[in-house]
Amino acid sequence: MSLNSIRIQTHDFDLAGEYQQLRELSSTVGAVVTFTGLVRDFELDGSIDSLSLQHYPGMTETLLQEIVDQANKRWNLIGSTVIHRVGELLPRDQIVFVGVASQHRADAFEAAQFVMDYLKTKATFWKQVSQDGKQHWVASKDSDIDAVARWDANND
Amino acid sequence: MESQETGVQKLVTRTTALINLLFFGRLGDFSKDVPATIEASTPAEIRQRLSADYPALVKELSEPQVLVSVNQMIVGWDQPLADGSEVAFLPPVTGG
Repeated sequence: MSLNSIRIQTHDFDLAGEYQQLRELSSTVGAVVTFTGLVRDFELDGSIDSLSLQHYPGMTETLLQEIVDQANKRWNLIGSTVIHRVGELLPRDQIVFVGVASQHRADAFEAAQFVMDYLKTKATFWKQVSQDGKQHWVASKDSDIDAVARWDANND
Repeated sequence: MESQETGVQKLVTRTTALINLLFFGRLGDFSKDVPATIEASTPAEIRQRLSADYPALVKELSEPQVLVSVNQMIVGWDQPLADGSEVAFLPPVTGG
């Protein structure tokens, strides 16, 4: 039984605190891998003033849970935490956190990357950036779809 | 005041379901004047019914990358709809 936490929130998160919680899940934890995504200060050819994140409440949590469930089936995990912020964010703000605890490092490394890759292409979040006073929706990237296809191809 | 009988008659004769509509991401920019509910029997019929009044939105909805969900489950465009269903139109996601 794995200990998983999924949170969607407007407020910031504390990396050290999240790491500590994963570390303390069990005395069998031998590896914790964490990923933190930040708001870049540029998009396409210009700098951005701010970022607004929309999501589909309810469905987003369900989809993230499905992704975490898949990770738990593929790797031997002790626990995981997924945090995604929504609402108004500024350049350099923390936007997403994925932390995975396992006995051995390979499980934690791979599962963290798997969760992020799937989150980017499956979870119902949409980014809108503000540039020079104008808003526009961010387009999806083919490279993100390729990243997920790699995991699909490896699935035995 | 509407009689109870009239209400019953309405229920019996209605062949399509009353659907709650949601548009996310860039689709929201094209759907500001779209009513919150519509009568339709499938997501494809919703798109068809909107085409006369909202051609720009329907052009966006016809992009192959746009997904449709019913009660927060991704479904096909021919999924039969029940009264009170929540139908959401989802452009490619860009979180993370």
